[in-house]
Amino acid sequence: MNSKLLTIGQTAKLLGVSIQTLRRWDDSGRLSSVRRKAAEHRYYFKKDIEDYIKNNIKELDLFKIARNWVVDSLGVEPLSDFHCPDISVFQARLTKLENELSKIKKLNKIFPLISAITGEIGNNSFDHNLGNWPDVLGSFFGWDLAKKKIVLADRGQGVLATLKKVKPELTNHKDALWVAFTEVVSGRAPEYRGNGLKFVKDVVIANKINLFFWTGDACLKIQKNVSNLDIKKSDINFRGCLAVIKF
Amino acid sequence: MTIFLKKFGTTLNGRQFGKESFAAFEPSLREIKDDEEVIVDFEGVVTFTPSWADEFLGPLFNRFGEQLTLKNTENPSVQATLKLLEKIYGKNFM
Repeated sequence: MNSKLLTIGQTAKLLGVSIQTLRRWDDSGRLSSVRRKAAEHRYYFKKDIEDYIKNNIKELDLFKIARNWVVDSLGVEPLSDFHCPDISVFQARLTKLENELSKIKKLNKIFPLISAITGEIGNNSFDHNLGNWPDVLGSFFGWDLAKKKIVLADRGQGVLATLKKVKPELTNHKDALWVAFTEVVSGRAPEYRGNGLKFVKDVVIANKINLFFWTGDACLKIQKNVSNLDIKKSDINFRGCLAVIKF
Repeated sequence: MTIFLKKFGTTLNGRQFGKESFAAFEPSLREIKDDEEVIVDFEGVVTFTPSWADEFLGPLFNRFGEQLTLKNTENPSVQATLKLLEKIYGKNFM
């Protein structure tokens, strides 16, 4: 799969940059495309793009990479560095993140909490979509500790569709987000469960952590000491979930 | 009996993992006598989440009630998770 060629449009989405930027990078030699003649379309080896991300993660915007992946009308697998096709891969990568966080002195007291809320948000992707993924299986999971940022996303059913199974009266994404983060309810009826996001909210409010969570056309922001949930209509509209944790 | 949670791992997260952990340990619970104290020791646990806890501690709470004692719960993710479970189960664990 790594030898697969990507178009310049696909590459731009994967890297979270514009096509114009890629053309500029190609001309300057920063990221070379594959083409036999100058007049031909530019293509990129998937492996080259994966290597580029590995080597240049500090200059790339993880959020844009995840957002582009989640809102794209065509579902394609994210690059392997970010892709968790099943929960065991997610769990292994969470342990890796936990280990990296534990080495940051400033986070000495709260790194288990950051790891725990990341785990709960990530779990939801799998718990609510197992066997029901609309297109791409699994989730996007990446972090940039220099920028103190963790990004999670999935192309699953989203919060509203999941909650509607147990609360059919829900009609919009904003209300669904509010319920998900405040009411004890489960999307896996008849099991009386689903407290992960309430836990996330409580932890964020009590600590120096910010959470941004998108689903459908709604966006939620939670921050320290602000118990009123800030839920707005967002400028993107997509089916799954996208979360950014900043600390 | 003391149940050392670190024997299940140090990143205790996810319902599936919680369920598997409880199912694997369940045969050992049969050895516990009616009046025996059951200690759950959190020493060494780094990341603890409500999803894992609900699947593992939940059945223990329901089965052993007052016999259950929790030990070494200082980790902040253990504290935050237990606080939420107290709300859900309506009991004091700490």
